[in-house]
Amino acid sequence: MPRASIIIPTFNRPHLLPRAVQSARAAGKDVEIIVVDDASVDETSAVCGKFAGIKYIRLERNQGVAGARNAGIFASRSDYIAFLDDDDLRLPGSIDLQSDALDVNTDVGFVCGAMLMANQDYSLSGERSAPPAGKGDRFWELLQLDFPVMPLCVLIRKECFARVGLLNSRLRGIDDWDILVRIAELYPAMVLEDAVGIYRCPSPCSGQGSSSQASQLYQVLAHQRQLFRLPRVTSATSSQRKSVRRKTVNRVADTLLWNAAGLLRAKAFDSAAANIFTALRLNPLRALRPRALMKLEQILVTARRESLIKQ
Amino acid sequence: MPLTSIIIATHCRPHLLGRAVESARAAGDDIEVIVVDDASMDQTESVARALPDIKYVRLERNQRVAGARNIGLLVSSGEYVTFLDDDDLRLPLTLNEQVRFLRANPDAGLVYGQAIVRDRSSERVYPLDCPQGDVFWQLLTENFIPCGSAVFRRSCVDRIGMLDSYLAGIDDWDLWVRIAELHQVIALPKPVMVWQRSSPVSAQGTSQGAYIVSRAVRQFKSSWIKLPRAVAAPRHRKQFAWNRFSENMASHLVWEAMRSLNHYNVGQATRNVSTLAQVGPLAVLRLAKKTGRSLIHRTQGRRNNDLNSGRCV
Repeated sequence: MPRASIIIPTFNRPHLLPRAVQSARAAGKDVEIIVVDDASVDETSAVCGKFAGIKYIRLERNQGVAGARNAGIFASRSDYIAFLDDDDLRLPGSIDLQSDALDVNTDVGFVCGAMLMANQDYSLSGERSAPPAGKGDRFWELLQLDFPVMPLCVLIRKECFARVGLLNSRLRGIDDWDILVRIAELYPAMVLEDAVGIYRCPSPCSGQGSSSQASQLYQVLAHQRQLFRLPRVTSATSSQRKSVRRKTVNRVADTLLWNAAGLLRAKAFDSAAANIFTALRLNPLRALRPRALMKLEQILVTARRESLIKQ
Repeated sequence: MPLTSIIIATHCRPHLLGRAVESARAAGDDIEVIVVDDASMDQTESVARALPDIKYVRLERNQRVAGARNIGLLVSSGEYVTFLDDDDLRLPLTLNEQVRFLRANPDAGLVYGQAIVRDRSSERVYPLDCPQGDVFWQLLTENFIPCGSAVFRRSCVDRIGMLDSYLAGIDDWDLWVRIAELHQVIALPKPVMVWQRSSPVSAQGTSQGAYIVSRAVRQFKSSWIKLPRAVAAPRHRKQFAWNRFSENMASHLVWEAMRSLNHYNVGQATRNVSTLAQVGPLAVLRLAKKTGRSLIHRTQGRRNNDLNSGRCV
C-alpha cells in the first residue's frame, strides 16, 4: 500500500499536465499518483497514456472539480490524500515531509505548508503565503477566511472523510475551503514552516478563475451560512457568530476592492466593476470609507507612475 | 478481498438495523457488510458495534443518505456494490445469483431484481415487467429499479463519478440513469428484496413525495436531458421522454395526494397538488385524458356486461 496519494483532477489542459505529474512524482518516495480526467474532450487521455506508473481515471461525464476529486479519493488506496491542480506544482520531498508529520501527530486531521507564488510562466514571483506555523485548532480562523491555505499545500488524513463526508460537489471552486472547515471542526490542524508547493497565480486575462472572483467570494459568504449550522458554531455565543460574520464580510469586501485595483491596472474593466459592485453590495460604508478610497487611489497612482516610467 | 459489498446507510433506527444486517449477511457468499451511521444521536452506535462481522463507519456530521452511501463506497473494497436501506431486507442467496449474471455479461454495468413491496395492508411485486438491455430512455421516464435490488460494478463509479449528495430521495435514480447511459442493464425477474413502503403517517421519507417529485423534475431538466446521449438524440425522442416522465410524475402526485387525503392529511395533499404546477399543465391534461379514456372504457365494458347478463336472463 502506498503511503500517500496525490490526486490531480484535470480538464482540457494536456500541455500543463506533464509538469504537474512530474513534480508529484518527485514529491515523495512512496506516492500513488492518480490523474482524474474529468471528461476532457482533447488529447488529455493520449497524454496520460504516456505516463508510467500513474493511475489514470477517466470520468466519461464531467463532474466538476469536486466530483473529480471525490472520484480520486474513491480510487486511492493510501491513508493520506493530497490534491494538486493540473497547473500547480509540488516541491520535491514535500509529501514525505507532510506524511512524517501526520505519522507523528496521530490526532491531526491535515497538515499544510507554505506556498510559493508563481506567474503564468512558472517563474517565481518571490511572494510566499503561509499561515502561522504550529499545531492547534484552526476552525474559527478557517471559517472567517483568516487562514490562507490552498488545496495544493495540504495533506489530509483519509479517515477524516469517513467522519465528515466527502467534498461537496455543488460548490464550484470553494469545495476545498468547505472540506477543510468541516475537518477542522473535529480535528486539530498542523502548519509546517517549509514551502511545499508552487501556486500558479491566475492573471486577469487568463480567464482562469480570477475573473469570477467576485462571484466566488459571494458564494463563500452564502455558503458560510450553511457552515454556521455546524454544531460547534451553533453552540457558540451569538456575539461570536456575529463577529465571525462581520469579519468575513469585511475581509471579502477589502479583498475585492484591492483586487479591483489590480484588475483596473490590467485593464480588465468588467471584472473590476464586478468586484467593486459586489464590495459595495456587501458593505457600502466600508467600501466607501476614506481609508479604503485612499488605498485604492494609492494603488492606482503607483500603477500610473510605473507605466510612465516604462514609457 | 471480498467480492461484493453491501452498503447499509442508517440514521436513528437501531431497532431495524440488526434485521437488515442479518438479511444482508445471508444474501450471498464472500460479501462484506458496511454500515454507515449517518450521525445518529441515539443508541445506533452501540447496537452497530455489537454486530459481528461488519465494517462500521460513523459519520460525525449528517450527510444525508447519498452522502452516507458515498462514504460506504469509499470504504468498500468489493468488486460489486449494492445498497440496502436499514428498513429493507435482502432475500437469502440472491446476491450470488445477481453477481453470476454480471460476471457472465461483461458489458453490463448493473443487474437488478424485483422487490416485494410491503404496505401496511398488502404485498405486491414491483416492477412487474423488467426491462433490460439498453434501458436509458425507459429509465428517464420512470425509476423501475428498486434501490436495494441493484448490484453494480465498482468500475462504473470510476467512469461516472459518485452519488450526488444533493439529490436526497432520487440519488439512486440519478445514479441508475448515469450508469444506463453508458452500460447495459440486466434484469433478474424474481424477487430479491423486501421493500417496506412507508405510509404518510410514519413520516418516513416518502412523506416528502411532493418534494422528491420537484427534485426529479429539476434534475430531469437540468441534468438528465443534457447528458451527451440525450443531447445527441432527435428532438421528438426527448419530447416523448419528457411527456412520459411528466405524466408519470403527475400521476404519482395525484396518487400521493389521494393517499394523504385518505389519512386526513390535508396539508400534504395540498403540497402534492401544488407541485403539479411544476410538472406542467400539459402533463395533467394528458393524464386526465388517459384516465378519462380508461374510465370510459371500463364503464362501457361494464355496460356491455350488463347487456350480456340481461340477455342471459
